[in-house]
Amino acid sequence: MTATAVQPAAPEESPTVTVTVPPRAHCVADPAGTLTFDVFDWRPAGAGAGLLLTPRGPEGAADTLRLPLAPIAGERLRAVLTVETPLPEGRWDVYVAEDGAQPRRLSPGNHDLRALVDREPPSGAGPLAVRIPYATKYGNLSVRSWVRAPHVEAGDIRVGAEELTVHGRLAGAEHPADLLAGAVLEARPRGAEPGTGPTAKPTTEGAAFSCALRYADLVRDWAGERLLLDLWLRPADGAPVRLARILDDVPDKKEIFVYPAREVAAPHGAARVVAYYTVDNDLSVRVERAG
Amino acid sequence: MGSSGVPQRMHISFLIHNAYGIGGTIRTTYNTARTLAEHHDVEIVSVFRHRDTPVFELGPKVRLRHLVDIRKGSPTYEGEDPDYSRPARVFPRAEGRYEQYSLLTDRRIAEHLRGVEADVVVGTRPGINVHLAREARRGPVRVGQEHLTLSTHSGRLKLALRAAYPRLDAVTTVTEADAESYRREMRLPGVRVEAVPNSVPKPELEPADGTGKWVVAAGRLAPVKRYDLLIKAFQRVVAERPDWRLRIYGAGGQHAKLRALIDRLGLYNHVYLMGPANPLEPEWAKGSIAAVTSSLESFGMTIVEAQRCGLPVVATDCPHGPAEIIEDGVDGRLVKSGDVGAIARGLLDLINDDELRQRMGRQALERSARFDPANVAGRYEALFADLARRGGLRGALHRTRGTLLGGVLATKDVGRSLMRKTETA
Repeated sequence: MTATAVQPAAPEESPTVTVTVPPRAHCVADPAGTLTFDVFDWRPAGAGAGLLLTPRGPEGAADTLRLPLAPIAGERLRAVLTVETPLPEGRWDVYVAEDGAQPRRLSPGNHDLRALVDREPPSGAGPLAVRIPYATKYGNLSVRSWVRAPHVEAGDIRVGAEELTVHGRLAGAEHPADLLAGAVLEARPRGAEPGTGPTAKPTTEGAAFSCALRYADLVRDWAGERLLLDLWLRPADGAPVRLARILDDVPDKKEIFVYPAREVAAPHGAARVVAYYTVDNDLSVRVERAG
Repeated sequence: MGSSGVPQRMHISFLIHNAYGIGGTIRTTYNTARTLAEHHDVEIVSVFRHRDTPVFELGPKVRLRHLVDIRKGSPTYEGEDPDYSRPARVFPRAEGRYEQYSLLTDRRIAEHLRGVEADVVVGTRPGINVHLAREARRGPVRVGQEHLTLSTHSGRLKLALRAAYPRLDAVTTVTEADAESYRREMRLPGVRVEAVPNSVPKPELEPADGTGKWVVAAGRLAPVKRYDLLIKAFQRVVAERPDWRLRIYGAGGQHAKLRALIDRLGLYNHVYLMGPANPLEPEWAKGSIAAVTSSLESFGMTIVEAQRCGLPVVATDCPHGPAEIIEDGVDGRLVKSGDVGAIARGLLDLINDDELRQRMGRQALERSARFDPANVAGRYEALFADLARRGGLRGALHRTRGTLLGGVLATKDVGRSLMRKTETA
């Protein structure tokens, strides 16, 4: 089937591409929040294969968590990050390492996080540990970790004509109903002392509550500049708890859980009030000049 | 795949616009090439190279090279070549990507096609197919793929294709409907027109179990996808089933409009614009129903992708692909295109009947295996082998005529035109 005629000179061929594939890992979450990493496209030559989780930030390396990697079928290696293994809150970069070689950054494979979707908070007391693996914007594998004790999970938010109604659930407390009794929701200016922001009384049912924050109250201390109000649940007795949304598979809520803004008349002119999630998935309200 | 049952090893060369990008044509070409490479020599030749490494996995056996390097900062960068800014003459002006082509690409593609060492050369878009028809050396089988549809091409492009395509050995489309358009509207005597669907590999994760209360959609946020209809339909779903929610994956120009629509309808606790996701399989697996509400789907790749993850798909019965993928009532629902009420009813039928939804999901999983790269590559393999055999006969005819008439050069063209007449007859 090959031609016999004399061929015209072929153009100078570009070199054939050799693609170097970075080591990758599939990651599966179970309902409790344990993550199983199956590493592939990587064959350690030496001993001491391990998965490294290194915290982002300047102090970094000293706090690196090392998990052993054990061979499984199909030339893969497995490491398990149980929900009991402590992992402080923050962003963690994931590497593979072996003795006598530089660690290599892992790339994400399939992240099977279906068990994290619509999670029910574990009942009972104790810190709530949540980890969500994700691909960074450079295509590397990282893990986002939260540790909250207790925790207030924000749910639906209703943007009304006069008020913003926030639904939530308290988790990680021994007697959630007791902690909620007498509690208030405070919209505290970022960086300010507890008790300085407007508050509202929630309606509670067991560990669940809903709370209407009136726009008139939210703009009370607005002086015309941008004002960020962080939402805290302040029990009658005990430390305030930040509202956050972490009991699912979405590592970054900010651009996805988005709410309409309302314009309201305020002492310093028309204000625009909008609920939003911070880069840490905490729930806040932004007040700024309308228009 | 031949009559002997053992496929003869072929050298297959794909010519593609840019193998380093992320489009559907690139993805499906990689799938097919990887699978064909298990039994054949396969190369992908990319007209352009704009980055160092391709996004999709090529596998160890497929060779990849480029014709024009447009990586700024690369030692072989060719963007400064004067011919790179001179307009193309061979690549048809009416083609959507004309502006990216140039005298330089004309020359490189021509040189490549005149020297290509292959049994089968496959073009992957109309402009490239025109090059293939006009410039490929005699010998290799010439196959032009249509990854979009004839009906979406301009009249001028259709004319350009009509002039060039008779010199191809085969044109492949991704749907039977489009193959029918080609047979009906283009006069392509002796050219085999065949539908070969796109392929989707089996996902490397467990299929969805159909218990989650999520509807999932995915695709560019472009007007043709009609996500506005889906969101409006979902308002009716929420009125009846507020426990169900919708995730739409993808990026695009419609984002702000869709965001405003969600807010206006008060659906911000039920409908989420998730942004782009790659890979998508884990996102499908979180859902229990997939929704496709496009006004046009050349093929319907997302339908197959969702099915391969075990989701029943509610899709609008738009041209061309959905009706060739979904069997209404068996592995999903085909609903009236452009009809919000019909989309809502289709979704609610599956939402309100857990047993039906899960049965359809299992059917979707089973039936979508026909789009496995092994099956699709098998169809290409059979087509190529058949055309190559025909080509071999044609070669024998050339040789016979050659001894009769003498003079090798003269005979080739005569033989060729005679052959064409035979095929036409």
